[in-house]
Amino acid sequence: MATDSHTNVLFGLYNDEEDLMRAIESANESGLDIMDVYTPFPVHGLDPIMGLKESRLHIAGFIYGALGTCTAFGVMTWVFTRNWPIIFGGKPYFSVPAFMPITFELTVLFACVGMVITFYTICGMGPGVTNPILDERITDDKFCLAFKTNGLPNGEIDNLKSFLSSTQAAEVHTKMI
Amino acid sequence: MASSSHTVAKTTDQINFTFTGGQKLLFGVLMLIGVICSALAFFNDPADEAINLHHSRFWTNFLHNSAFFGGLGFISLFLLCCKILAYSGWHTTFKRIWEAMMMFLPVSIVFFAILAIGNFAGFHHIYHWAAEGVTDPNNKEAYDSILAGKAPFLNPLMYLIFTVVIVLVWSAFAFILRARSKAEDKAKDGELSFFKKNKVLAAIFLPIGGFSSAAFIWLLLMSIDSHWYSTMYAWYVTASWLVSAVAFTILLLVYLKSKGYFPQVTKEHMHDLGKYLFGFSVFWTYLWFSQFMLIWYANVGEETVYFDLRIEEYPFLFYGNLVINFALPFIVLLANSTKRMTGTLVLVASLVFFGHWMDFFQMVKPGVYYENYKHLKHSHGHDGHHDEHHDTDTHLSDAHNHDAQAEGDDHSHAAVGGDHKGDNHDGHSKKAKSSRVGYAFPGFIEIGMMLGWLGLFLFVVFSGLARAQLVPTNDPYINESMHHHV
Repeated sequence: MATDSHTNVLFGLYNDEEDLMRAIESANESGLDIMDVYTPFPVHGLDPIMGLKESRLHIAGFIYGALGTCTAFGVMTWVFTRNWPIIFGGKPYFSVPAFMPITFELTVLFACVGMVITFYTICGMGPGVTNPILDERITDDKFCLAFKTNGLPNGEIDNLKSFLSSTQAAEVHTKMI
Repeated sequence: MASSSHTVAKTTDQINFTFTGGQKLLFGVLMLIGVICSALAFFNDPADEAINLHHSRFWTNFLHNSAFFGGLGFISLFLLCCKILAYSGWHTTFKRIWEAMMMFLPVSIVFFAILAIGNFAGFHHIYHWAAEGVTDPNNKEAYDSILAGKAPFLNPLMYLIFTVVIVLVWSAFAFILRARSKAEDKAKDGELSFFKKNKVLAAIFLPIGGFSSAAFIWLLLMSIDSHWYSTMYAWYVTASWLVSAVAFTILLLVYLKSKGYFPQVTKEHMHDLGKYLFGFSVFWTYLWFSQFMLIWYANVGEETVYFDLRIEEYPFLFYGNLVINFALPFIVLLANSTKRMTGTLVLVASLVFFGHWMDFFQMVKPGVYYENYKHLKHSHGHDGHHDEHHDTDTHLSDAHNHDAQAEGDDHSHAAVGGDHKGDNHDGHSKKAKSSRVGYAFPGFIEIGMMLGWLGLFLFVVFSGLARAQLVPTNDPYINESMHHHV
């Protein structure tokens, strides 16, 4: 991306996720280098055959949550025992049950907000970012299998085209993004 | 994919379950242990002679196990109805397990009926509101104004209605649901009428089951601490049943898979059951904490009595409950991978199953042990009785007195004296921790009686499994269930 700001993409659109799955499997068998796959909804079993690793987002989520727990509990303990001790309802300054609801809320808040920000950062999404789309129907009813064709000789591009047609792709297009 | 394995269900050879002689023998032995331990508890309770006048150790165990295992039956029916109404499909391959579990409901009626008759006949003393003279203003000895105020709800007739009659109604729903589910197996392919009829049945049952189970729980369990009440209690007990039922399902599925049944139940199904175990454990904790925190914060005497008793005198039960039922499943099952490891799941499921059995133990025992005697002591407070013997003995002798009025005072003194010999009874100070076997923690008799009920429960479940196809091959959701993928 740093040397060439444009990517030439050859992509096939499939009408059915089963066709797409079969196409990916035969692309794997022929050793083709898939750029990405786009689907309108999550397709079960797609990740393993594409060779994607399990997301580590939930580990980040756990860390944010733990951070939220510590923040809430630590701040409340400090405020109510050192900084500004006040007796509420005749309870001791350090009353764990009273701290629990806020500790819980902050755990959830930190985990959610942290995971959203991390996810947007990893995916390069966010306010002001425009992401190129290959075809609008990918968000509706088409399943897309895309190859990057930068620097490929014409013969290989033709091979890819015939591969897409041979795997029941309804349409084959090229686009520069 | 879908088309190629369309007939998996039809070709699965392990479609019928055989209840082997070995299993029957094992469950029979468990039930025998239960009967022996029941007899031991009834006739020879070593824990406390004064309390054993009412065979309290036996009756509390009886109530504890009936409520716990009967609740498993109820919650299985409830789960099935929820699943049917939510158009859920993933559980369909093993839905016969829940159908078999709910068949324990009609069996448990017998136990509830015995308890209900006991309230009329007075042969047990679990519920203080059922004691003689409690609601009679003329009875200066036993009259309790709070219980008299609650008498329109807390009385033997209501108890009979909301335990026996309501469980009969639930059983009727369970029978119809199961009969239709079984008839579906014999019907022609694509026959949806049974499913649709069961959907209506489920929609009728859920509100009935939801509301009546609350009254069932209030009378069966909450009224043990008869002055006390909590609006969260019914939820809390239901959540406890729910976690136990899921844990039991996991254990049973793993066992049946090891015997070659349910090859179509994969790691994906176990993963989802693991999520249930995790999620409902957290839900249980949420209810536990909600109940605790509101009472702790409001600090109203008639509400705190329940927790005060348990925290001060049964800390092992009280905190252990949280460790085994919240901390353990939360920490172990938090990660994605641990829910997919059979060994880990089995370990957690068995500990949590036992943990919730202990949860019921701590609901039943401390209340029965103390509540009645405290109330009696209270009601006797200023009648000059005190001066005759020192404080420690007062509530015990009064208690005895109350129940053995015909026998006269001298005899009751003798019984109380005997009680103090080999026993570390802690009536001296309310702060003292109770360590009485059978009340503060389960002894061999409690475990034995639990095994008896477990044997009966397993016997009912296994014979339920044997009386129908193990895999509901004609269920409209069977294929979805076969291809379940998390």
